[in-house]
Amino acid sequence: MTGERRSRIVDEIQAAARVTDGMAIVIGGHIMSSHPMAVIRQIIKQGTKNLTVIGAASAGLEVDLLVGAGCARRVITPYVGGEALAPIGPFYQAAVQRGEIEVWECDEGIYYTALRAAALKLPFLPTLSGLGTSLPEVNPDLRLFNDPITGRPLVAVPPLQPDVALIHAAVADAYGNVQFVGSGMGDRAHHRAAVTTIVTVERVVPNEEIRKNPLATAVWNVDAVVRAPYGSHPYQSPGFYLHDEDHLNEYLRAARAAVQGDRRPFAEYLDRYILGPANHAEYLQTVGFPRILSLHEV
Amino acid sequence: MTYTTKELIAAFIARDLQDGENVVVGANLPVPRAGVLLAHLHHGPNMTIGLSATQTNLLKEPVLQPFKYNRDFRAARWAESYMQHHETFDSPKLMSDVFFVGGIQIDQFGNSNLIGVGTDYRRLRFRGPGAIGTTTMTTYTKRYHLYLNSHDPRVLVERCDFITAFGWGRGGADARTKLGLPGGGPKYCITPLCVFDFEEETKRMRLRSVHPGVTVEEVLARTGFAPIIAPRVPETEAPNADEMEILRQRVDVEGVLRS
Repeated sequence: MTGERRSRIVDEIQAAARVTDGMAIVIGGHIMSSHPMAVIRQIIKQGTKNLTVIGAASAGLEVDLLVGAGCARRVITPYVGGEALAPIGPFYQAAVQRGEIEVWECDEGIYYTALRAAALKLPFLPTLSGLGTSLPEVNPDLRLFNDPITGRPLVAVPPLQPDVALIHAAVADAYGNVQFVGSGMGDRAHHRAAVTTIVTVERVVPNEEIRKNPLATAVWNVDAVVRAPYGSHPYQSPGFYLHDEDHLNEYLRAARAAVQGDRRPFAEYLDRYILGPANHAEYLQTVGFPRILSLHEV
Repeated sequence: MTYTTKELIAAFIARDLQDGENVVVGANLPVPRAGVLLAHLHHGPNMTIGLSATQTNLLKEPVLQPFKYNRDFRAARWAESYMQHHETFDSPKLMSDVFFVGGIQIDQFGNSNLIGVGTDYRRLRFRGPGAIGTTTMTTYTKRYHLYLNSHDPRVLVERCDFITAFGWGRGGADARTKLGLPGGGPKYCITPLCVFDFEEETKRMRLRSVHPGVTVEEVLARTGFAPIIAPRVPETEAPNADEMEILRQRVDVEGVLRS
């Protein structure tokens, strides 16, 4: 009995098709770095709705974009914003204030506790985080209880299980061995909690490259690998390129106009960068190589 | 020697930090960043500095280039170790010994709110960015400082609409131990006008010092609650020449604290 080791490489269109209406997705990275944008853009293009969007802890404007594009019903992350560029995501802020999306209120510690409970198939994990705060009031899923050993109060955090984890990394081989440049943020926790994991990478490398340094393999046995050079644009990808501030400001201008009632600039943004390009390669062509290649480390 | 209020605050923050402490530097708070790095270069050769998901010692770096964003990977050029973000929450040893917490509201007992402003959670008048890591960090960290970029009665309020980081609750020195919170709680609230500390018995905010040129009356007029006021309120201690030299030559060469 013999067999072939199967390649797990898919393109961004096939990867996004695994995300369907009503699913819970978790998006890796951290604020201005390492978001799997090639797949996020395709999810918007294919018109997926009613997603529970679990952003990274903390999330950047990719979560704001999914809210603005009408894909999200519920958002779970302790932060949505662009730091100095935008202290809070414009679409996210407006949608919450208008009651258009639900928020599962948490902080980073509670967020990872919920992911860990999901990974371990536990009904809850206890934490001290949130005692004395409003979090158990505004998030009824967080329950106060008395610890059976000492009788002291604790907070019970139920599991948050993503159907799909979407991660952006430096390299992977065709068999789902993934290596980051840098820490990998909280992406290991996303992979451990999710039912399936899709990873976009700057480069697909031969299996021999992975075997040169197995210690660097941070996540293994992922379900799908997407070849997506510059796939985190307009965010940073550690070791490859910096964030694109001009592009993010273009997005923010459109988003701020939209929440003020003028949706035309955002419709144009969507047409130009997401609905128009047939795939990730055409997206990069729209952004333009002079811009893309200017995002090098200085 | 002349100095700006931001440089004064950086020096104040630095003097509270001790050699050997492990302190994380955020990107979007240039004044606390400068305070931490000043402490490191001035009197903290054995401090561990957390920077962009790395830990390191920067004593031998002549100039500490600032980064605009929290996860800028260029900071990794200095790394002695990496921190996976979820791992931070596995042990207080991996968290910052001292932490800086902002707020869209901060009350007289040092509780802070990053959720939003409004009485109905489902219809907030203003939605804030979210708790970030403040709920858990303030549960465990040895001490923390509330830090504000503006001193405003709408921010410094009698009572927060929501609480994301528990300071001293409704007051009392046992407010935190009663709940079983291991961390030391808020020590100072630092604003562009003054520094508050917390009175030992009630844990209500007390005006500790005013920055040069600021009057007690001005602080009271711009604070939404009545802090405890000592008969004589001193000025916040000025930075000395050594501190100013390190700040300007090594920590803040771009002059962010002078703008």
